[in-house]
Amino acid sequence: MWRRSASFILDKHQNNKPMSLTPSIDSPPPLSASVADENPSPNHISAYYQTRAAHHEIVTSDWLEQAQAAVRRYPDQDSPVSEKPFSVIEEFNKWRQQPALAEAVAAIRALAAVIRASDGNTMMELEIELKKASDTLKAWDTTSISLTAGCDLFMRYVTRTSALEFEDFNSAKSRVLGRAEKFGEISNKARTIIAMLSQDFIFDGCTILVHGFSRVVFEVLKTAAQNKKLFRVLCTEGRPDKTGLLLAKELAKLDVPVKLLIDSAVAYCMDEVDMVFVGADGVVESGGVINMMGTYQIAIVAHSMNKPVYVAAESYKFARLYPLDQKDLEPALRPIDFGVAVPLKVEVERSARDYTPPQFLTLLFTDLGILTPSVVSDELIQLYS
Amino acid sequence: MPDVQSMVLEFVNKLRKRKIEGSQATARCTVELLRSVISHHRVPHHANQASALIDAVKAVGAQLVAANPVELAVGNVVRRVLHIIREEDLSLATAAVAGLDLLDASDDDEDVNGKGIGYTAMSAAVVAAAARSTLRPPSLQTLLEGTPESATVPYTSSSGADSESKTADKSSITRKLKHDVIEGVNQLIHEIAGCHEQIAEQAIEHIHQNEVILTLGSSRTVLEFLCAAKEKKRSFRVFVAEGAPRYQGHLLAKELVARGLQTTVITDSAVFAMISRVNMVIIGAHAVMANGGVIGPVGVNMAALAAKKHAVPFVVLAGSHKLCPLYPHNPEVLLNELRSPSELLDFGEFSDCLDFGSGSGSPLLQVVNPTFDYVPPSLVSLFITDTGGHIPSYMYRLIADYYSADDLVM
Repeated sequence: MWRRSASFILDKHQNNKPMSLTPSIDSPPPLSASVADENPSPNHISAYYQTRAAHHEIVTSDWLEQAQAAVRRYPDQDSPVSEKPFSVIEEFNKWRQQPALAEAVAAIRALAAVIRASDGNTMMELEIELKKASDTLKAWDTTSISLTAGCDLFMRYVTRTSALEFEDFNSAKSRVLGRAEKFGEISNKARTIIAMLSQDFIFDGCTILVHGFSRVVFEVLKTAAQNKKLFRVLCTEGRPDKTGLLLAKELAKLDVPVKLLIDSAVAYCMDEVDMVFVGADGVVESGGVINMMGTYQIAIVAHSMNKPVYVAAESYKFARLYPLDQKDLEPALRPIDFGVAVPLKVEVERSARDYTPPQFLTLLFTDLGILTPSVVSDELIQLYS
Repeated sequence: MPDVQSMVLEFVNKLRKRKIEGSQATARCTVELLRSVISHHRVPHHANQASALIDAVKAVGAQLVAANPVELAVGNVVRRVLHIIREEDLSLATAAVAGLDLLDASDDDEDVNGKGIGYTAMSAAVVAAAARSTLRPPSLQTLLEGTPESATVPYTSSSGADSESKTADKSSITRKLKHDVIEGVNQLIHEIAGCHEQIAEQAIEHIHQNEVILTLGSSRTVLEFLCAAKEKKRSFRVFVAEGAPRYQGHLLAKELVARGLQTTVITDSAVFAMISRVNMVIIGAHAVMANGGVIGPVGVNMAALAAKKHAVPFVVLAGSHKLCPLYPHNPEVLLNELRSPSELLDFGEFSDCLDFGSGSGSPLLQVVNPTFDYVPPSLVSLFITDTGGHIPSYMYRLIADYYSADDLVM
C-alpha cells in the first residue's frame, strides 16, 4: 500500500545544483587548512576524523614517547600572552597535536588556559568568557561528540555551587584552575584504570575481535600482554582508515598473535571469537555508543551469536544525546578512496561513524567502574540534575 | 583478643571444610563473628579510628573469603559491615562539624582571625556532601569535584581549636562510633534472619489462582514464598524438578505436600517437555551478580532457557545478603564447585574404570559433578528481594546502596 517515495532522487537534484561548480568531493582538503580558525569544512569533512587519520599515519610507540617528552618542554616556550589576543582555538590546536591526548582533554586544557588568561574580576565574568570559549570550540567541529561532551562537562563543573563557596575571587579562580589541570591528567589515568578493570575479562586462550584503533583498547591489550596473558587478536581492516594495519603492527611489536580480516569477514570469523572489544567516540544517554563505522554491524553479528561486546570508554565521553536512529547524528563525513576514480553520477556513503544501540552491548569499562548500559543514563541524570 | 583469633580460625576451618550449609546460615555466622571482632577491637582514642576498624574487619574478611571463595555471601556481608562502618563514621563526622560550627560561632565572635573564618566558611553541608561522595561509587560528579582525603578532616581541624568541651566531645564521639557500628551490624543480622518473611509477603502479588509453578532444587525462600501464597487462599499447583544427583527436589516436594500444596515431581530432563504447561518458573538463587546474572543450583540455566523459549516468566528470589557487587567474568569455572563423583556413580561398581592405577595413569572414565549454574541476565524476568521486585538491569542500584566502591577488592 505504501510505496517508498523516490525521495533520494529529489535530494540528489537539490544537492547537485549548488555544488556543481565545486571540485571533486573525494579529494581531502590539505591538513594545514584544518588548523585555520574558521570552520574548515565547507564540504562537511569532519576535522575530528582528519586528525585521527593524521595521528594514525604517524603514531608509533617510540614516536609517541619522543613527542611526549617534547611537549613536556613546550609550556616553557609559551609566548607572552599579552602580545596577541588569546585564541582558544590556537590553544586547542596546540594541545591537539599530541597523539596520546584525547580531544576532550585537549579542550579542557584549552579552557583552563582561558581561565588563566582571563582578566575578569568576578565569577560571572569568568563564566561568560568560558561559555564563549566553549561555544567557539564546539562550533569549530560540530561533529566531534567527545569535544562537545568534554566542554559541557567543564562548563557544568564551573557553574556548580562548590566553586562559589569561597568569598575571595582569586582563590576560587585558582581552585577552578587547579581542578581543570587535574581533569587534564585524568585522561591517561582513565586509560590505566580501564585497562586494570578489564584484565579479569581476558582469560588465557581467548580470541578478541577488535575494530578500529582505540587508544584505550590498545592500552587494555598492552596491559594484558605485559601480564603475560595468552590471547590472540583478530583485527578488522578498518577501511578506509587502515586502522587494522596499524593496530596489527603495534600488537606484533608486543608479540601478540594477530590476524587481519577484511571488514566483510567478521561474520565468517565470529564463531571462533570469544569477545569483541571496541572503543567509543561518545557514549549516549541510552547507553549506546557512537563509534567508527562498522561497529554496529559487528555488534549485531556478535549479539546474534551470543558473543559479549565490551566497550572501553572514559567517563568524559558521556554525552547528552539520544539518537533514535542512525541518521539522528550530526553527519561526520570523510573522504573514501576506492583506488579507482568513481564516476560522477555515483554517490558514496561517506559517513565516518555509526550508532550502536544498548541492547547489543554487554558491558562498558569506564574509569567509573564496570557499568551495564542501563547505568549510563543514571549517571548522566545525576550529573545534570 | 586471643579469644577472637581462635574464633576466627575455627570459623575459617568450618568454611574450608564446607561444614556450613546454605548462604543464609553462612552470612549470619560471618556477621556474628565480625561483630565480636569489632567489639573486641581496641580502637585508638584519636582520629582515624574508623580506618582502624575497617582494616581489622578487612583483614578478617580476606581470610574468610579465601577459605571459601565460592560462597559469595561471606564476601557480601563483610562488605556490608565495612559499608556500615563508613556510613556511621560519616554521620558522626557531619554531626560533629555541625556541633563545632555552633561552638565556633559562639566562641569566636570577637576573634576575627582568618583561620576561624576559613574553617566556618567550609560549611557543614559542603563537608557532608564531600564526605558523602567518598561513600558513593565514583561518578562523573565526584570525578570533577575531587574527594577530600578522608572523612576525618573535621577531627584534625578541631584539634586546632581551644575549648575543653571539644576534647570531651571527641572521646564521647570515639565511644559512639563503635556503639553505632554494633547497632548497625545488629540491624544487618536482623535483616538477614528476616529475609524470608519479607520476600514471602510479596508472594500474593505474583501467584494467581489456578496457576502452575515450576521450581528446581530445594530453597527455603521458595518454600516460604509458595506457602505464603497458599495461606492467602490461592490454589495453585507446583512442579518440582528433582535436581539430580542430590535429589533435593524430593525433600522440597515432601515439605510442600505437608503444607497442603498439590505437587508433581518431574525429572530434570522433563523440564523442556513440561514447560509449555507452566505459568511461571520460581527459583531461589545462590548469589546474584552485579550485572543481574544469577548463580543457582545446577540445572537452572536449562530451566531459564526453556522458559525463555516458551515466554514463561522466570522469577528469582534472593535475600539482600546474596547480592554480590562483582561482575562475573568466567562464572562457570571460577564460581563453581565440583563435588564428589560418588554422588553420581557408585565407586564399587565402577572402580575399574575410575582406577588411576590402570594403563597411562589417568582413568578413561571422568565424572563431572558441578554444584552451580550461571544464568545470564537476559534470561531473568524479575528479581524479588526483601526490598521488592526489580528487573536485572536495576540490580546495580541496590548494590550502590549496600556497598562502598573502596571495598570491592579485599
